[in-house]
Amino acid sequence: MHKPVYIAPLSLVTPLGNTVGQHIEAFEKGVSGIQIFEKDGFQDTPIALAKRAEISSPNRYDQLLRGALEKAKEQLASKPLENTAVIVSSTKGNVDLLPGDTFAETQAIIHEFFPETDVFIISNACVSGVIAINTAADYLLAGKYDHILVIGIDAVSEFVSYGFQSLFALSNETCKPFDKSRNGTVLGEGCGIVLVTTEKPADFAVLYKGGSSSNDANHISGPSRTGEGLVRSIEKTLKRSGLTAKNIDFVSAHGTATVFNDEMESIAFGRTNLDQVPLNSMKGYFGHTLGAAGVLETIMSIVSMEQNTLFPNLGFKETGTSVPLNVIQRIESKELNTVLKTASGFGGGNASLILQKQS
Amino acid sequence: MKILAHSYVCPKGTYLNGKRVFDTGEEENPFKSAYQQLGVEYPKFYKMDVLSKMAFIGTELLLPFLPKEVDLENDLQLIFANSSASQFTDNLFIDSYEQLNNPSPSLFVYTLPNIVTGELCIRHKWYGENCFFVEEAFNPGHFSEWTQIGLNKGNNVCLCAWVEAKTNGEQECFLFLLTDSEHADNSIELELSTLIKQYRNE
Repeated sequence: MHKPVYIAPLSLVTPLGNTVGQHIEAFEKGVSGIQIFEKDGFQDTPIALAKRAEISSPNRYDQLLRGALEKAKEQLASKPLENTAVIVSSTKGNVDLLPGDTFAETQAIIHEFFPETDVFIISNACVSGVIAINTAADYLLAGKYDHILVIGIDAVSEFVSYGFQSLFALSNETCKPFDKSRNGTVLGEGCGIVLVTTEKPADFAVLYKGGSSSNDANHISGPSRTGEGLVRSIEKTLKRSGLTAKNIDFVSAHGTATVFNDEMESIAFGRTNLDQVPLNSMKGYFGHTLGAAGVLETIMSIVSMEQNTLFPNLGFKETGTSVPLNVIQRIESKELNTVLKTASGFGGGNASLILQKQS
Repeated sequence: MKILAHSYVCPKGTYLNGKRVFDTGEEENPFKSAYQQLGVEYPKFYKMDVLSKMAFIGTELLLPFLPKEVDLENDLQLIFANSSASQFTDNLFIDSYEQLNNPSPSLFVYTLPNIVTGELCIRHKWYGENCFFVEEAFNPGHFSEWTQIGLNKGNNVCLCAWVEAKTNGEQECFLFLLTDSEHADNSIELELSTLIKQYRNE
């Protein structure tokens, strides 16, 4: 039997705020951080974004990172962490450092707050966050470290905005995951930090039960039509966790609100018998935060478990996928013991993990 | 843990298990030449970025060394790393919107380093686990750690790569296949660092 691995939220900084309380309030009231910016798109076109108002360009990445690290350090103040590493999950790092290395300063910024820790960086598109948490748990199980801080981060930039515009993957209004009228994703930004540890934390924490990744082996930028990679990842994660679909109380889905991604996810959830499990995508609240998404959404899933609350999938009104899903429409109390988090992204990547309350 | 086979691709040439198989030092387009010398038919090669092209060539050469008894579709893990992520294509994409006023979607999709592993999975129908790390320099100790972790989880073989394409012209792809062996010795790290030095000095 594996030794237990715990996950506890440490900090999150998004357009909705920089405390868990602010996020709970926004989720309860259905407040979105998404706005239309009249001239932020390519050639001064309007674009919907979820940007944090308190920071400014350039180097938004550095400001998000320092903001979240400061809060995390406060959280950990009473408890010096020995034998600790850091794993960063980011799709782009700081694009303002181009033409040089976009991750050149990441380790130095982390060392300002946590000197001399080993720092690993995972850059695996939109599944980076879930893979980073999985990797952290694997490292702990291998006995290499006792604690790992997993940092998920990406900032809004011209680079990524223009790229998604060139792919026609963006909505011109807001982000409506799984809804019939969804017409694209909305880019967001944020930084979330979780503590993955073998030592039972004093604050609320859940158990990490297992995780995996799988490639679609289908297309570098288009989702698989059959959901093959996501199905294989979910099946592997359930198997590694010693659980079945019947054990899952809530699914924190990826749900980017592009027509093809959400359709793919619905097929995968149907194939894995998860289509009737209450599910949400959180992208209606803080947009698609790319490399931060897996970590931020894991944090809010843990918050859901702590509060025993199902938060609505903001932006959803009517079923818009060929396999109907149990998309959460109203805030609801429910005992949440076991939660599945999934992610899918460019490069055909899919990843998933399972969290469970301590018995 | 043991090394089943290794390859190295750079503009000068392509090497397999320490021996040069294609000399492309004089070629204007070395990777296209190496691809043509491989003799495989895969037209998607031409639209790939430099990282994917190098990894494609190096991986084709390693195929005969993949263990036959393994469920490669599910149990082959890909662990890749470099220091510059997708820097070379990132700068081309910036040029497309700053200089040419036309952000190129075909460049943008390659502005993520893990597209390389996606391309290989598509080519070979591999559905297993993938991970792309960004590190200061090639660190054989980390590759051995990541592989051991992957093997502990039930993966059977790891295709590892240090694959770099920088705007300053540095281009290389060092690929190696790792699997479990009965001998738990640490010589693998030394072996890998010796191999990459030898390839770089060829």
